[in-house]
Amino acid sequence: MLLPRVGRPCMRAIAQRATSQTSSSTSSYSTFAPAPQRSSSNSAILSRLNWAPSTKISPSLIFSRNASHAQSGRANGAKDGPGKRLGAKKTGEQYVIPGNIIFRQRGTHWFPGENCGMGRDHTIFSTAHGYVKYYRDPLKHPKRQYIGVVFDRKDTLPYPQHAARKRKLGMNALPITDAAKALDPGFADIEGAVDHDLVAKGNTVVDVRRSKKSARKGRPMQLELRPGYMYREANWEIGRAAERAGVKTPKFKRGDRFVAWRKLGERKLRNAERRGLKR
Amino acid sequence: MSGCKRASKPLASLWRQGAKGSCPNSTLGVSFRSFTAGPARFDEANVQSSKADNSAFPDPATAVTPSEEEKLIKAGILPVGSRRRRLALQTTANIPFEQLPYQCFQEARKVLQADREEKLKQIESERARIAKLQSQDPAVSGGEVEKARRLRSMQNYLEKLKILADINDPLIKKRFEDGQGDMNRPIYRYLADKKWREYQRPLIVQRITQMNVVPDILPHLDPVADVRLAFRRHNIQPGQFVDSRVSESPARLKVQVFDKGERFVTVAVVDPDVPNLEKDSFDYRCHFLAANIPISPTSTSIPLSRLSQDSTILPWLPPFAQKGSPYHRLSVFVLEQPNGQKIETAQKAVERDGFNLRSFADKNSLKPIGAHLFRTQWDEGTAAVMARAGLEGADIELRRKRVEPLPYKKKDGARYR
Repeated sequence: MLLPRVGRPCMRAIAQRATSQTSSSTSSYSTFAPAPQRSSSNSAILSRLNWAPSTKISPSLIFSRNASHAQSGRANGAKDGPGKRLGAKKTGEQYVIPGNIIFRQRGTHWFPGENCGMGRDHTIFSTAHGYVKYYRDPLKHPKRQYIGVVFDRKDTLPYPQHAARKRKLGMNALPITDAAKALDPGFADIEGAVDHDLVAKGNTVVDVRRSKKSARKGRPMQLELRPGYMYREANWEIGRAAERAGVKTPKFKRGDRFVAWRKLGERKLRNAERRGLKR
Repeated sequence: MSGCKRASKPLASLWRQGAKGSCPNSTLGVSFRSFTAGPARFDEANVQSSKADNSAFPDPATAVTPSEEEKLIKAGILPVGSRRRRLALQTTANIPFEQLPYQCFQEARKVLQADREEKLKQIESERARIAKLQSQDPAVSGGEVEKARRLRSMQNYLEKLKILADINDPLIKKRFEDGQGDMNRPIYRYLADKKWREYQRPLIVQRITQMNVVPDILPHLDPVADVRLAFRRHNIQPGQFVDSRVSESPARLKVQVFDKGERFVTVAVVDPDVPNLEKDSFDYRCHFLAANIPISPTSTSIPLSRLSQDSTILPWLPPFAQKGSPYHRLSVFVLEQPNGQKIETAQKAVERDGFNLRSFADKNSLKPIGAHLFRTQWDEGTAAVMARAGLEGADIELRRKRVEPLPYKKKDGARYR
């Protein structure tokens, strides 16, 4: 690093010495002020400073030390933390189920291929039952390497580009119960969809479609399963409880000093009583 | 009616009144009523006549108010261009381009006309060259193959010249933008194709690739025709979820091709997402199949309900999805029949269930030219739609299978010490 900095003035000094021998000018000393017009005045100043122009040039090597860099302690080491347990969790051809983690990685060394997904931290996981395949797909991307899951162990990835995808349903069929049909408005206007006698006999049906205003009047309270696994009324019905009970409150009148004075007295009494209870 | 429109209504009526009340003094035939609170002497007399005009049938070029537009649409005429443009037209005298008093514009038109003359001459000479080559002996023109190749390239050049002759004409641009272009002429077909390729084609290509219609149903598709789909009055965007009650009635297709000539097409509506519990997989089902439908650049409408009896192979089956099943992609394919040939529609019964469009297209050497797509899922009307169509399976619900965890393999005891 130091060499080029020193080398250039050195070279220039040597070159100028060579010229000064022929022209015998006084400029041979001034390596850093090569302008010939100013050289005479410069020499006068320099002679006063007791720096003889005839002395030979020896370029001084000035070493500089940069901003300090810690040499001990944790400064350069501490790269050997605990391992993050990255890498393949399932080998090729191994059987996996949906949700199984196949590969843990930092960044995307591997990309999710057929029937695989990638998590928030680039973890490759399976989305289907099947066998793990590690493969490349140059038609999809020339450089990426993929992890896929095939349903049939003999299959090879990638699948042909224009072939129909292989998919699994992964579902069971269950008959829709009459109770569920009664709740579903889609079955409301179909003849014979719901056996009404059966519905009338069994008490399994809870009519959830009764949010009409008049529906509540004169009917017993009906509770339904609400979020939080509670059988309770809806919030709006609870809010209307006072109205239903016929509780009347006088309307607030701004600037009614008499009411305010009465309330103040009541409040003071209440507070005094509470303070008395505390002690 | 938005506030903006409501505010502009008196102004619009004012302008219209001005335009209709002919003023003899103004050369452009336009008179403006001044914005004064005092009595408008001149316009007072015109009030009666303008009211009489309002009751008359509106002009599609200048209809602005919603009531006028409604009247036109009811009569089956679409208003020309945008409402803003129609409003602007009311205030102009609609002078033809040749008489517009702009010198630079007229000079520019002269240049364009000279260019057009030149192109027409080139077309003439190219036609003559083609005729000469056609009458030439193949041995002289370098063999049959070489002659055919040269003829094809000359035809392409001729088509290009036809477009170049008209591409700079302002009147043609105006007519195209007003939707009055004649699709028999190459220039309008070219402009329509260009417009379609700007947005609609990339959109449909994106939808069919993202939703894997290609390669699930057909191996490859390069759309060259614009396909629009509507159920009664509902225009359907590609990939839109359609209510089962809406899609109960047969769809209406609009297939716009951009190359000349009449051809026969086959239309197939295929659902590739029919759940098959035995196979634990999905099946195909054909919801509609019709062949030998004639279309051309000018006849574009294909109402699936009104096709002739002998062209319909499988009539419309309302799309449905059982409760809990993943959404069904109903994909509409338009396939061109080779060389104007007709398909034997009554050859043998085509099965709806397990219909494979790949093999059907291969067997009849059909070439897909366009596609559309909509989706359906279980909704409130599906059970009723299935009951009306006499379909079984509305009382079955599909539930996801529980994923059993893999048996836990205990590691050797040394790890737990």
